[in-house]
Amino acid sequence: MATVRFERLTKSYGSIPVVTDLDLELPDGSFTVLVGPSGCGKSTSLRMLAGLESVTSGTIRIGDRDVTNLQPRERDIAMVFQNYALYPHLSVRENIAFPLRAVKVPRAEALAKADAVAESLGLSAMAGRKPKDLSGGQQQRVAIGRAIIREPKVFLFDEPLSNLDAKLRVETRTELLQIQRRLGITCLYVTHDQEEAMTLSDRMVVMRDGRAAQVGTPLEVYDTPVDTFVASFVGSPKMNLVDGELTDESLTMASGFVLSLSQGVSRGHVTLGVRPDDLVPTAADDGRATVKLVELLGPRAIVTVDAGGTELTCVVETARMSGITEGARVSLSARPGAVHVFDAETGRRVVGDQMKKGNELHP
Amino acid sequence: MKNSLALTVCRVALLWAAAICVLFPVVWIALASLKNPEQLNEPFLLSFSPTLDAWRNVLDSGILEAAGRSAIVALTTVGISIVVGSMGAYAIARFRAGGTLTRFGMLAAQVLPPAVLVFPFLTMAYALRLNDTLVPVIFAHLSFVLPVVTWFLIGFFEAVPRSLEEQAQVDGFTRFAAFRLVVLPQVFPGMGAAAIFGFTLSWNDLFYGLILAPGKAAILPVAIAGFNTFRGVQIGSMSAAILIAVVPVVIASFFIQRRLVQGISGGAVKF
Repeated sequence: MATVRFERLTKSYGSIPVVTDLDLELPDGSFTVLVGPSGCGKSTSLRMLAGLESVTSGTIRIGDRDVTNLQPRERDIAMVFQNYALYPHLSVRENIAFPLRAVKVPRAEALAKADAVAESLGLSAMAGRKPKDLSGGQQQRVAIGRAIIREPKVFLFDEPLSNLDAKLRVETRTELLQIQRRLGITCLYVTHDQEEAMTLSDRMVVMRDGRAAQVGTPLEVYDTPVDTFVASFVGSPKMNLVDGELTDESLTMASGFVLSLSQGVSRGHVTLGVRPDDLVPTAADDGRATVKLVELLGPRAIVTVDAGGTELTCVVETARMSGITEGARVSLSARPGAVHVFDAETGRRVVGDQMKKGNELHP
Repeated sequence: MKNSLALTVCRVALLWAAAICVLFPVVWIALASLKNPEQLNEPFLLSFSPTLDAWRNVLDSGILEAAGRSAIVALTTVGISIVVGSMGAYAIARFRAGGTLTRFGMLAAQVLPPAVLVFPFLTMAYALRLNDTLVPVIFAHLSFVLPVVTWFLIGFFEAVPRSLEEQAQVDGFTRFAAFRLVVLPQVFPGMGAAAIFGFTLSWNDLFYGLILAPGKAAILPVAIAGFNTFRGVQIGSMSAAILIAVVPVVIASFFIQRRLVQGISGGAVKF
């Protein structure tokens, strides 16, 4: 139980920077998720905290302790690897008890504690089996059991759910969150899956090219992405991003297509972001857009629309689908107050978080 | 169906032919060991009344003591090779220690004719008053068993995922403890195979033993060669001695055949 701090953390291999000046604080008991595309430095950051990767410059603190140059075993952490890294020659019980062996807990006591952990994870029936005789989900739980048995200061997770099938992934995600809440141990979790990041985290760090592009609660990141990269990375389906001339009433795209808005903002040339949920297609004979594809998800459908040569994505409730079929003509409008305006050159957000609240905009 | 039957017949026939080729000398030697000196002059004689004279003669000649010395040499050589070789193989597999040159150059010792090495060994042994003891023989055997065992183990170490050691380190162990408690158990089967392979190499070596310990410390192959006397080759006794030497190796090989292929190819495939 401790606060973790990264201070100007930098890692480079020769002249190639992997992580640059990362400043981050993981509050005691928080669940922070590092998310980003592959190669963004998220795993490297995690491995530096674990002590498995050396630090080029900067400081890592766990609580009051500077751990930058300590060995992994001196850091009081636990980690779950993507491939679980279970010890093949040990049984489930021995695997879970293994970290206690390092701190010289008597064998009988360690195994008794491992049995208790196994039971809390529903693994009692297979405590005597070897890892290779378990399913992926069970192996995952053994790895989690081994991480929690010593009650470390920090939990580290390196894409622990990516080897599970979709259904199991969602279940395990919930369990993981419950365990973390129960134990109240600071967590750092790495994933490339933004949905996993949204659901798990108290705090989300979107990384790009070795830097933290945005740090905030999942809602903050979703509602007010700082730039077009974060905007398109977070949220599924992806946010629609279109370049054009923004006036009070509409956005005129390069192709001449006009998207009607009711924002009352005039900014000139911008990149406009509209989440698919906020883009509303309406069946209209004189509509200038064409429905290209309808993907039904149950209560909602993803509708792909061709708007003057640009593909835009809308998410429409099934109840409002009348007239929206593949090939139909539609007109498009964005929900009031739901657009994100980014500088066309830099991609940075130009206006504050008042957009979503539907307030008047004062750039 | 018919086709596959023909294929099976062919395959079985081929395997039998190969087995006969391999087993023929062994059977012939076994028969020779049971013949009396006169019958030995008729190599194709298959029906005769067997005698154990040759076996008695061999056992009286101290062949078992020689076998014991061979076992001491082979076990010591293999013991050292496994301890040193596993650490070397780990370093080469994990850290690319010494680069590609070390990895593949290691086997250069196999290319070197033993005659090049044996004279320095003999000179040193003589200077240390260790000639005709097992010590120089063990050192000489290390010169070819250690590289082979190391080479053999590299592939096994490379098959152990790196995250396993990292996990052990995070779980609170030192690097060396991670190696000992987590990595080594994964390569135990490979080490067993390497040990038997190395044992066989040492057990079968005649050359170094003959030069470095030809007298009272003679090892088994040297003792066998001793039946080639100035009165001619004692074929019967020699045959019996050869069987004593061959049987343990054949039995050992049987147990490691699968790992043997993995080990020999494992070191080479990935680099």
